Amino acid sequence: MNGMLRKWPVIAWYVCVVIGLVITLLPFVYAAAGSLKPNHLMFSELSPFTLKAFLPGTDPVAYFNIFEKGFGRAILNTLFVSCTSVVIGLLVNSTAGFAFARFRFHGDKVLFAIVLVTFAVPAEAIAIPLFIMIRGLGWFDSFTALIVPGIANGLVIFLYRQFFAGVPNELIEAARVDGLSWWRIYWTICMPLAKPVTIGAGLLLFVFQWESYLWPLIAAPSPEHHLIQVALGRFSTEFSAIWNEQFAASTIAGALPLVFIFIYQKQFVSALTGVDLK
Amino acid sequence: MLGLFLFKIYPIFLAIWESFFIESFGVGGGKIFVGWENFTLLWNDFVFWRSVRATAILTVVINPVQISLALALALLLQRRSRHIRLIRSLFLLPIGIALPIATIIWGLMLNPNDGLINAMLGIFGISRQPFLTSEDQAIWAIVAIATWKGVAFWMLFLLAGLEDIPRQLYEAVRIDGANWLQRHRYVTLPMLRRTILFVLVADTATNFVLVVPMIILTQGGPRQSTNVLMYEAYRTGFLFQDFGKSMAIVTILTSITMLVIALQVLFLGDRRGANK
Repeated sequence: MNGMLRKWPVIAWYVCVVIGLVITLLPFVYAAAGSLKPNHLMFSELSPFTLKAFLPGTDPVAYFNIFEKGFGRAILNTLFVSCTSVVIGLLVNSTAGFAFARFRFHGDKVLFAIVLVTFAVPAEAIAIPLFIMIRGLGWFDSFTALIVPGIANGLVIFLYRQFFAGVPNELIEAARVDGLSWWRIYWTICMPLAKPVTIGAGLLLFVFQWESYLWPLIAAPSPEHHLIQVALGRFSTEFSAIWNEQFAASTIAGALPLVFIFIYQKQFVSALTGVDLK
Repeated sequence: MLGLFLFKIYPIFLAIWESFFIESFGVGGGKIFVGWENFTLLWNDFVFWRSVRATAILTVVINPVQISLALALALLLQRRSRHIRLIRSLFLLPIGIALPIATIIWGLMLNPNDGLINAMLGIFGISRQPFLTSEDQAIWAIVAIATWKGVAFWMLFLLAGLEDIPRQLYEAVRIDGANWLQRHRYVTLPMLRRTILFVLVADTATNFVLVVPMIILTQGGPRQSTNVLMYEAYRTGFLFQDFGKSMAIVTILTSITMLVIALQVLFLGDRRGANK
């Protein structure tokens, strides 16, 4: 009796965890399983409900079909936009972070405060004003409109600044005495040290572009500029009855960032939230 | 070099600037000055007030739901246990899933006729629910989708906050004979206050602009029940090409957001701040 009493919190804990995990994982399992089935099976397995709905099928036809419907184009577009944003974004934001950490200039505090404010402003809130601005610049419906606004990232600047501010002063001083330019110090000393930040920040920039929806939807509406989430959204309205293809498209769009995030989970989470996972 | 950074920060700068000032005075991208006309138009617009109502309902429901669930999950995952790292990783998976994907998959699962959820409810003898097609349930379905996607993210901050609470505090109240509920009431909540406030503010700001499920699934319907201000701004700008009015809505939404956040900080902030 006493033993049971001590055990029940543990049992309750397991029950809660299992319920939570079922809710969390249900859409993953169902969508991935459904993407490998012919469309009619999606419906017959559910009326009445059978557990077969969660077992993966063996028919990849949905995957072939979505590529015939131009999904490949969206994937390539997104890879192009994401990778360009990562490369340029890492360079620009790390140099900015370096400047904030190492130089004292007029108004640096105010400027850095503005950087901090920017990551409190949700992307959706500025999407419509930004659209007016982009249209004024003549960038409407182009890859420039998709890439440029996403490059400067307050959070990434912040991450680099925090890291560079922690680099020992002696190291920098020694390099200065040796006659290294600030550019060389940044590139050959500080950046190699900042590798964990670069992994997290790069992933952040990549995922930001890969998962953006509202901005590409309004800024570049023509199909040749479609990014993956926009293509997915269009798909779900245009072919709303073809469930297996929607699941296949979702699986592809979801799997790629998830793989990276899973590998570099620690760096990603600490970049995104400042929380160190143990 | 400096000029370069200034130029690169400039877009963010300008974007914020624009979202606060310019928008309400331009009509359709033209440069005609109309003063407060966009705002007076909205004041007399029945649809706009419906939209304010939908936003208020969503805000009042979604933020407490998400934060209590995030806190519950954080308490759950705080426990040291075998496989805890794997369990945590699995709970974190939705963070990596884009909201449009989550929306589409859940949208199909919540399909009133052929959806998985209704099929599973059927086992328990519960009749089919209309979910997103019902005026009463649509907003709840959207809350569920956004919560599924968002809760793990907010949980991370709370989990980190929990792990910073010194063990001795719990030992002390345990010796005093406090039960589980009292331990959390008198130790966890006060110690976690700042973290909870931060999560509340950030979550509120995020949910005020929650719009993807409305664009993909409901188009603001049925009968405007999910037509939140952000969707109304999107609809006015991009479906009706009335950017002046759209910007006015964004400006109002931004003001409401800041007001609500200010109130949250005022009422829940650290009133003993002076002692610290």
